[in-house]
Amino acid sequence: MHKIEVDAEMDLLEENRKLAEKNRRLLKEKGVIAINIMGAIGSGKTLLIEKTISSLNDYKIGAILGDVIAKDDYERVARYGVRAMPLNTGKECHLDAHLIHHALEDFDLNIDVLFIENVGNLICPVDFDLGEDYRVVMVSVTEGDDVVSKHPEIFRLADVIIINKVALADAVEANVEKMVEDAKRLNPKAKVIKMDLKKGIGFDEWMEWLKCVLQSRER
Amino acid sequence: MVVLDAVMKVAKEKGAKRVKSVQIVVGNLLMLNPEQLKFCYDVITKGTIAEGSELEIEVVKANIKCTNCGKVFDEYIGICDECGGILSVEGGKEMFLKRVEMEV
Repeated sequence: MHKIEVDAEMDLLEENRKLAEKNRRLLKEKGVIAINIMGAIGSGKTLLIEKTISSLNDYKIGAILGDVIAKDDYERVARYGVRAMPLNTGKECHLDAHLIHHALEDFDLNIDVLFIENVGNLICPVDFDLGEDYRVVMVSVTEGDDVVSKHPEIFRLADVIIINKVALADAVEANVEKMVEDAKRLNPKAKVIKMDLKKGIGFDEWMEWLKCVLQSRER
Repeated sequence: MVVLDAVMKVAKEKGAKRVKSVQIVVGNLLMLNPEQLKFCYDVITKGTIAEGSELEIEVVKANIKCTNCGKVFDEYIGICDECGGILSVEGGKEMFLKRVEMEV
């Protein structure tokens, strides 16, 4: 028996990257804009999808609802009659390109926009490209006004940052402006929206961004 | 898991009897804690030819600098504390297997 050393240079993240590119190509071919909605637990991700479905009349919408377990989010969205699919990870704290790849095999992609609701988590989903066109990161004031500065990486890579439940800011003593400043500092290019979905605050701004994205897509 | 899969692939190719040590490179912006990764590695290698092997993790830093004044940063803070310019980030997201030491 003797000892050998082998220089390997093997990319350990290649698998997810390749599958994400595959997903991206498929979605592009079908003319679908894919939006990965990430955010904290209970920040309002599902409600954002529900309200968007109710307001976006001229486009066909699909939604994949990621959760560790249970189909509650799926049921909430499916009742609007859009194409929807629950995606349970079983134990994992994030979606990955492999799960989305299989979900897309069974998904009718005769749609204009696909919302992919990630598992509620501000850490693990960050490194997993799903093949999306845009990343939306949603947090709410009830998570504490330091939630943005405590999770720099997810906000750095976001296209849209939503600070939800601003109407509750006084009750939970959260400084909304601090959250907005943190978001803009970490990501000067992102669109930052102050929102309160239940009160209708900031929703128009979101819809304006979404329509702009949908209108500018290449078919 | 991806680490062990890759190590096993190399070990099989070379007909290794035992894996002695493994070197991987990890970017510092990945959501990955080297200590936890080592712990997981020790657990999942049990019962394999890599059991007891050492996982060496080399952390490489992202190249973060101000697009305006060029100041270099160790950590991403978003906006330059000198001039208010936007910071650019290169790298920090890589993860690869560098070297495997084996007995054949």
